[in-house]
Amino acid sequence: MSNKRRVLSALALVLTISLFQPLLGQKKNTATSDSIKIPFETYKLPNGLTVILSEDHTTPTVAVDVWYHVGSKNETLGRTGFAHLFEHVMFTGSGHVPYGLHDKLTEGVGGGNNGSTTNDRTNYFEIIPSNYLESALWIESDRMGFLLDTLDTAKLNAQRDVVKNERRQSYDNQPYGRVSEIFSAAMYPKGHPYSWPVIGSMTDLSAASEEDVKAFFRLYYAPNNATLAVVGDFDPAQAKAWIQKYFSDLPQGKPVQRPTVPLGKLEASKRLVYEDRVQVPRLYIQWPTVGFKHNDDYPLSMMSSVLSGSRTARLTKALVYDSQMASQVFAFQNSSEDVGVYQVVVVPRPEHTLTEIEAAVDQVIQKFISEGPTAEELQKAKSGLELNFLRGLESNLGKANQLISGAVFDGDPGHFRTDYQKTLAVTAADVKRVANQYLTRSRIVLSVVPKGKRDQASKASESEAVTVVVGNRRGGRS
Amino acid sequence: MKQQKRLLALTAALIISLANIAAVAQQTLDRTKIPPAGPTPVLRVPTWTKTQLPNGAMLIVSERHNLPLVSFNITFIGGSNQFEQTAKRGLAAMTASMLTEGTTTRSGDQLSDALQLLGTNVGANVGGEEGSIGFVSTTKNFDATLTILADMMLNSTFPAEALERLRGRTLVNLTQAKDQPTIVGAQVFAKILYGGAHPYGQRTTEASVKAITRDDVVAFQKAYFQPGRAIITIVGDVTPAKAKAAVEKGLATWTKAGDKPSFEYPKLPELQPAKIYLVDKPGAAQSVFNIGLPGPPRNTPDYFALQVLNTILGGQFQSRLNANIREQKGYSYGVNSNFGYGKGPGAFRAGGSIFSGKTDAALVEFMKELKGIAGEKPITDDEIKTAKESLIQGLPQRFASVSAISNAITSLVVQGLPDDYYQTFAKNVSAVTKEDLLRVAKRYIDLEHLAIVIVGDRASVEGPLKALGIAPITYIDIEGNPAGN
Repeated sequence: MSNKRRVLSALALVLTISLFQPLLGQKKNTATSDSIKIPFETYKLPNGLTVILSEDHTTPTVAVDVWYHVGSKNETLGRTGFAHLFEHVMFTGSGHVPYGLHDKLTEGVGGGNNGSTTNDRTNYFEIIPSNYLESALWIESDRMGFLLDTLDTAKLNAQRDVVKNERRQSYDNQPYGRVSEIFSAAMYPKGHPYSWPVIGSMTDLSAASEEDVKAFFRLYYAPNNATLAVVGDFDPAQAKAWIQKYFSDLPQGKPVQRPTVPLGKLEASKRLVYEDRVQVPRLYIQWPTVGFKHNDDYPLSMMSSVLSGSRTARLTKALVYDSQMASQVFAFQNSSEDVGVYQVVVVPRPEHTLTEIEAAVDQVIQKFISEGPTAEELQKAKSGLELNFLRGLESNLGKANQLISGAVFDGDPGHFRTDYQKTLAVTAADVKRVANQYLTRSRIVLSVVPKGKRDQASKASESEAVTVVVGNRRGGRS
Repeated sequence: MKQQKRLLALTAALIISLANIAAVAQQTLDRTKIPPAGPTPVLRVPTWTKTQLPNGAMLIVSERHNLPLVSFNITFIGGSNQFEQTAKRGLAAMTASMLTEGTTTRSGDQLSDALQLLGTNVGANVGGEEGSIGFVSTTKNFDATLTILADMMLNSTFPAEALERLRGRTLVNLTQAKDQPTIVGAQVFAKILYGGAHPYGQRTTEASVKAITRDDVVAFQKAYFQPGRAIITIVGDVTPAKAKAAVEKGLATWTKAGDKPSFEYPKLPELQPAKIYLVDKPGAAQSVFNIGLPGPPRNTPDYFALQVLNTILGGQFQSRLNANIREQKGYSYGVNSNFGYGKGPGAFRAGGSIFSGKTDAALVEFMKELKGIAGEKPITDDEIKTAKESLIQGLPQRFASVSAISNAITSLVVQGLPDDYYQTFAKNVSAVTKEDLLRVAKRYIDLEHLAIVIVGDRASVEGPLKALGIAPITYIDIEGNPAGN
């Protein structure tokens, strides 16, 4: 389990696709909303901290969850990987909480803690037996207010090494592990806030100075840029008193500027090939779409379950079952706060080339663009949403993330209801329209092939080779 | 330095509270004071009913009405280790996949569409020592989903073309697994520990998948999915009476057959003196470590002592291994240890992914911690207290969802544990002594016979590993066979 700790964005991204997205887009095809509810109350402290409380006494545990509205997109070129490096630093102790005590008061009493970083936000959480709520609030307030009191270069270096190992484990030593950063760099112009990977580059991680990191903290880790949720078995009056006690005297920070981020847009389609230490090639196709705050995110997400996921979904049926060219197919809208992409991934069967597969994918998509989904396809896509929502309610942390996500990105912890209703309201015409609008755009086709087998790429002669610069692979501190 | 600061602060806090100036205390909050824990919440273990059905299956029902959800699961005692031939490894998993391919009244597509419209999914799989088929549904869709599950389990037609398709997919998966250093590491480790003749050392291979015929699948379904070895566990928004009626109706044609298999395993290969087994992964950024040896089964009387021991050694983030190798040394993103248990001699294993350039240094630290826990670095009272508290207070998490409760109850039956296991858990954990810990550490972490399996870039790690002189190096391939020099 400890391996999974401080999971960062690449994983979080996958989770976002598989878990959060369906949760955010709940709906049910009969009368809505009886079961689509999470009771909560919310308020703001004078220093700008948003607080959300939601009681659930089913299990004698509580989730404490803090989101800071800062992610890798707030970094600058040459200083990438900060938001995530910071996530690690946040577990190394703070002014009044010596290193190690945080773990002792969470996993040491039968609970747990972790954090995650995406392009858009960073979160920190504790899951604790309900009698340890006060100490969890104490810890969260201390690192919000007093982290820099004990931060020094030695601590920073230690976590920098851990992050480099995380990068090696999750990207460099992982088959196909470089795909997401190849796409980020190819989809967005140089310097665009979504053009670098959340984990950052080895070079930038090495270059981060103590002062850089401190400045980053002062700007983004203030109460006015944070949201705190407490979900589970607690007494609200007592929780409010403790929140007042530990958070109210933390000073408000400067207002955080949120620059307008342009959507991805390709002037022309690109064909890329990347050689990896793999035996089975893969085909990836990405189209620029929209972020999750855009209304088109709903039909784009719904299109995903019409195209893949079940054996009767269109791409799956055509490629995995009928022609059996592929062993697996995935199609999904992968959206962030400001931008999004629609992605198709195909794992071929050995006797079929990526060129054939690309043509087969295009054939299915062409047909879908001209027809749109059937009423039954749409109904199937909506049927599982109520169950997913209800299962999400079984986790205090799941609920906390859902409520905070609404508060941070949409200014309303109850935004899950809006999401649910908007997802339910998606029509066949909506899906057909977004298929036409986005899947006909210029796109990126990436073939990942075994080392020395560039000829296995889809339309190999038209594909441009990409190389990814790895940091110093050998030697100690790089 | 930190501690001094703490002491001063504590004194200050004392003065303030003596002065009894509540308002001042509020304004000048003493943040150095660790907030005290409240009273430990009362452990609420779910209750359940157990009924023996006429067909031989056991029915377990546990009510939970906070949400309109029901978890339904049939667990089969015994798995691929008991029911598969060595030459046809993968047959159990293949048969489980084939249950989605069509029945006498529904095609595979119709099954899929029906389940999608119910918004749920029936999952079937067979592992080494148990198998299961089940789902979680909304209350209102429970009966309809159960009907489809029964159809899949009892009336599947196993079309030959589906077998070929699934065979092709499995072969692609096996090829992809060869590129995953963590999967290769785990497979090679098992092969070294148990050898090819013990089921724990075997795995599905290209050859075994190619050997599976449709007749094998049909025969496996008949032989395996039998009520005599089944536990039907229903948890959630149901009553025992309703659950029983649903099962009697939904599984009416599932008639008495089968019994529980025996779990006798072949003798283990003779333990070898400690050795490094190096699997070459040219250019790898990390070396994947698996260090260990065969361990005790789940029913060992040493279970609670081992759980406390492992919590101290490598079960948690601040356990000795991770605190040292990740947090202090920065060699890894995370290392850990565990006991595999099972009905047979599941492995003790310590490991993780290590930066290639620190392969040798990390091995030194792994060995230091293993020797340490076995006596060289005595376990402290504080470590014991934290480990016990963590295990005891972690119990409620096992009852956090309908599927978690289903697992928690079913595993008692599968492992032959008493019904009051969770009620007596705290007592059993608390009873573990420091002497117990030292005894089980010495017994189960046998330093003289550790297999040290490392999957990494031989060109860069071999020299440094040799120079350590910790153990001789043997070269093996990704199948766990000798690779020459």
